[in-house]
Amino acid sequence: MIRFYEVTKVYPSGATALLSVNTFISKGEFVFLVGSSGAGKTTFLKLLTREIVPTRGQVLLSGRNITRLRPREVPYLRRTVRMIFQDYKLLPNKTVYDNVAFALMVIEKPRRQIGPFVDEALKLVGLESKALAYPDELSGGEQQRVSIARAIVGNPTILLADEPTGNLDMETSWDIMEVLLRVNRRGTTVIMSTHNAAIVDGLKQRVIELNNGRIVRDDQKGVYESEAEYNAVLPG
Amino acid sequence: MRVRLSTMRYFLAEGWKSARRNVSLISLGTMAVSIFVLGVFGLILMNLTSINSQLRSSIEIRVYVEDNLALQGLGKLRQGIESIDGVDRVTYVSKDEGLNRLTKQLGQKAGLVDILGENPLPDAFDVRVFNADTTPDIASLISDLPGVISVSYGQGFTEKLLATTRFIGITALILAIILLGAVMFIVGNTVRLSLVARAQEIEVMKLVGATDWFIMWPFLIEGMIVGFMGSSVSGICLYAGYLACIGRLGSVMPFIPIIGEAAPVARLCIGLVVLGVLMGVLAGGVFIRKHLEI
Repeated sequence: MIRFYEVTKVYPSGATALLSVNTFISKGEFVFLVGSSGAGKTTFLKLLTREIVPTRGQVLLSGRNITRLRPREVPYLRRTVRMIFQDYKLLPNKTVYDNVAFALMVIEKPRRQIGPFVDEALKLVGLESKALAYPDELSGGEQQRVSIARAIVGNPTILLADEPTGNLDMETSWDIMEVLLRVNRRGTTVIMSTHNAAIVDGLKQRVIELNNGRIVRDDQKGVYESEAEYNAVLPG
Repeated sequence: MRVRLSTMRYFLAEGWKSARRNVSLISLGTMAVSIFVLGVFGLILMNLTSINSQLRSSIEIRVYVEDNLALQGLGKLRQGIESIDGVDRVTYVSKDEGLNRLTKQLGQKAGLVDILGENPLPDAFDVRVFNADTTPDIASLISDLPGVISVSYGQGFTEKLLATTRFIGITALILAIILLGAVMFIVGNTVRLSLVARAQEIEVMKLVGATDWFIMWPFLIEGMIVGFMGSSVSGICLYAGYLACIGRLGSVMPFIPIIGEAAPVARLCIGLVVLGVLMGVLAGGVFIRKHLEI
């Protein structure tokens, strides 16, 4: 479903974010992207929403090279590849319901379809009772759940999460992971960049590790740190 | 492009909300004054063109003929004039009829004619041409015909009027470019404020897959509203002001054929409002495209 073929990204500043990256992610997979800050995780995700284009190589989505999309085709890509962030990006002057509905309204979904879609998304993230609340009346975890609801409303095929638990405590982070797993079980491919070792180790999903723009590890049921690194920090 | 009613309602609501939030009295006033000045030049130009065309349509070549020309000679000369390309109509004016006309023109000073004793005027032809621009050439051809003493058609006057009209037209055009630039700047600035206010919303829109047109529409409508607000104020002032002035001017200087009917002035004012709206949309579109990198 997603294929990176010899993808290199060099920013105008000269910094190389990704270098000859090759990988394949199947439909419905749950993948953790790990690595230190500046390893290339966010660049990897931004290439999938066509926020940036690679300097070399191809990014294929269901066989289509998205680096060659015309600018007016990009919005349609983003209706199937949605993203959530550490800072939620919710609109403070809209209620929970309106924040989620906004994602459908701006892609001109018929009004009668918006209600059922929003209700379904809010149910999935467990926020039906908070539909009329404003973002500043919610906890961090609840705000992130609203942002997930907004991302998944309308059933995108891929959900990208850029350190979604970065601002949350451990308990809330697990709540968010539960929601993301629920989304994944519906058939949505989830790719999540994270620094949270406990979550990666606890869920035993596929782990792709990036280091200096290269894929250095790709384990099917991986953990946060590679075995070599893990052994190195063991006492004795 | 098919737009849903609910979507259109959203565009209008957002455009109106932003316009209300970001338009200041100063920017609205500056815009109204700019368009008003433009309208004043438009009215001057309109009147000059009207005066010009009225004068040009009444242009005649007066051809004075030699005294001793017999009836046959007059007939031959008339034929000669009529055979020139571009001549519409030739009317014979006998020296007696010429004197009658002169007496009427002089009015109270008609006594001057009596002082002269005998009629000093020669026989003449009044020649009308199809196209006023060809008057000098036709007059020159006529003056070469045998039996002609001189020709007269108000040489120089029409050329001067035409040159004045052209000069004011060019000045108005230059001014229009400057003032429309000012209007675009004002609208652009208003749109910039709403762009800042809606930055987060736009980011989310792009994130979830709104098209560039969907993002742009509220800004275009905002530009349209701002343009309409500024230009309609100046349009109304110009219309009312002109008609009020023209009433007084007409009684003071009745001999100047100034446009006095409301319809052409109303058309100009409506044109100014349409221009204001178009400039608003254009400014909004150019600005938003530049800043959204669409």
